[in-house]
Amino acid sequence: MVAASVHLLDAIMIMSWWRRILLVLIGAWVPTAIVFAWWTASADSTNPYFPPLSLIVERFTELWFSQEFVTTVVPSLRNFAIGYALACIIGIIFGTLIGGSRTGIKYAEPIIDFVRSIPAVATVPIFIVIFGLDIAMRVASITVAASMPILIATIQGVRSADVVQVETARVFHLSRQQQLWRVRLPGAMPLIFSGLQLGLQIAFIVTIASEFLGSGFGIGSFTLVATESFLILDAWTGVILMGLLGYLINIVFDLVERFSLRWYYGQKKIV
Amino acid sequence: MLSNGSRASRVRRLPPAAISVVLALALWQLATSVGPLADLSIPSVVETGQALIAELSSSEFYVRLWETIQMAVVGFVVAMALAIPAGILIGLSRFAWRSTKFTFDFFKVIPPIVIIPIVILVLGPTMQMGIFLVVFTLVFAMAIQTGLGVRDADAVLLETMRCYGLGTWSQIRYARLPSAAPYIAVGVRLSASAALVVAIVAGLIGGAPGLGKTILLAQASGDDPRTFATVFVLGVLGILVSRAVTWLQRRSIFWMPS
Repeated sequence: MVAASVHLLDAIMIMSWWRRILLVLIGAWVPTAIVFAWWTASADSTNPYFPPLSLIVERFTELWFSQEFVTTVVPSLRNFAIGYALACIIGIIFGTLIGGSRTGIKYAEPIIDFVRSIPAVATVPIFIVIFGLDIAMRVASITVAASMPILIATIQGVRSADVVQVETARVFHLSRQQQLWRVRLPGAMPLIFSGLQLGLQIAFIVTIASEFLGSGFGIGSFTLVATESFLILDAWTGVILMGLLGYLINIVFDLVERFSLRWYYGQKKIV
Repeated sequence: MLSNGSRASRVRRLPPAAISVVLALALWQLATSVGPLADLSIPSVVETGQALIAELSSSEFYVRLWETIQMAVVGFVVAMALAIPAGILIGLSRFAWRSTKFTFDFFKVIPPIVIIPIVILVLGPTMQMGIFLVVFTLVFAMAIQTGLGVRDADAVLLETMRCYGLGTWSQIRYARLPSAAPYIAVGVRLSASAALVVAIVAGLIGGAPGLGKTILLAQASGDDPRTFATVFVLGVLGILVSRAVTWLQRRSIFWMPS
């Protein structure tokens, strides 16, 4: 009996492995086909804007697996990381403060509503006027733009705490501080994380935008200059690298979220 | 009586908002005229206000505004026309859904701003470029959203329909589409706001016509009050669009329990 059920489990495990491999294969054939089509269609392309993919790949490895990566891409990533980290801290702290008080929301709402309605990229010129074309401009625009969704999500999260849990905490005479740390903030985590994710995407967009608009260094600036000086291959490698970075950043975030919120997903599964 | 009461409460609700707006403007004016930012060339409230009035009374502003709206609307309509049927189709077939999932997710996640350099090369700083960017931004997210809605159809309902011998077409008509409708509604609302933002970004970064280009030109020529005033207008525009879309949706799908 025991042996049979073990065999059954093994069979299910093997099946789920097969299933997984099958799913990956099904998911992979479309991108493979796209790349293949691009490769063959552009193989002897004479259109200056669409050079052969083989040349783009060659230039890509030449550029980005070299010192150029450190001098061009690392400064962008550094600005992005600093700006985003500041946005997380500011968004969560102020969100908790504002969300915790009813009068705070009344006073802050019109200002937040207005600032978040400005397209994030359009705030960059404002920071250029204030800070010039310095690193401070880039970090400040990333921070302000990315902190808005985090701030709003935190306010909503703290406010929409489970009534039963808050009441229970009150019955057990938890102090306001304990209520905040033990009930309101943990309950707000799923919402805060959705704000953090939106903030991350905005931080990346503004990182690139601040480099497009304030010429100088960074991957965005490199790509735009390549476009303007008609270095089409360089421009393509820049665009592809930025796209890959944007995608990777999201993947990393998903992993972090899944790890930090596994208690929440566990709860949802049980329900 | 009732309307009187609600009006009174609205009046009472207004002051904090008004106070904080006045306070923010006063802080800005103080900081730029006598405060720590006075030495920098940051426009004050008064200068920005003057630029705003000049902007709003020039006919050029409305031409630019119209260009931005055109790019946003055309891009939005094209994206919806492509994405909703595509989303329904891939949502109906499990194979199609799994085949496209990774690809669509990839393009959905990539911020549209990164492809601007290549788009400038190919299409130049034109309206077509702005429209292309809007379509590219919206189409993948909207197709995924629609597909999710189609796939979310009640399994029991579908089985029941199958038992009663209802064909594929009836299943689509009476189970799949109704389940997709709220998903599509949410997608349409988010897409409408995003379309405006992308149309502006296309002008600001790519030099496409419209208000984005107004900011780009104002900033390049060092006309700081005009830069501030135009960004201010964009904030107001953003609020108006999101309010309008919410209002329209509440009117058109009032039957939908949200």
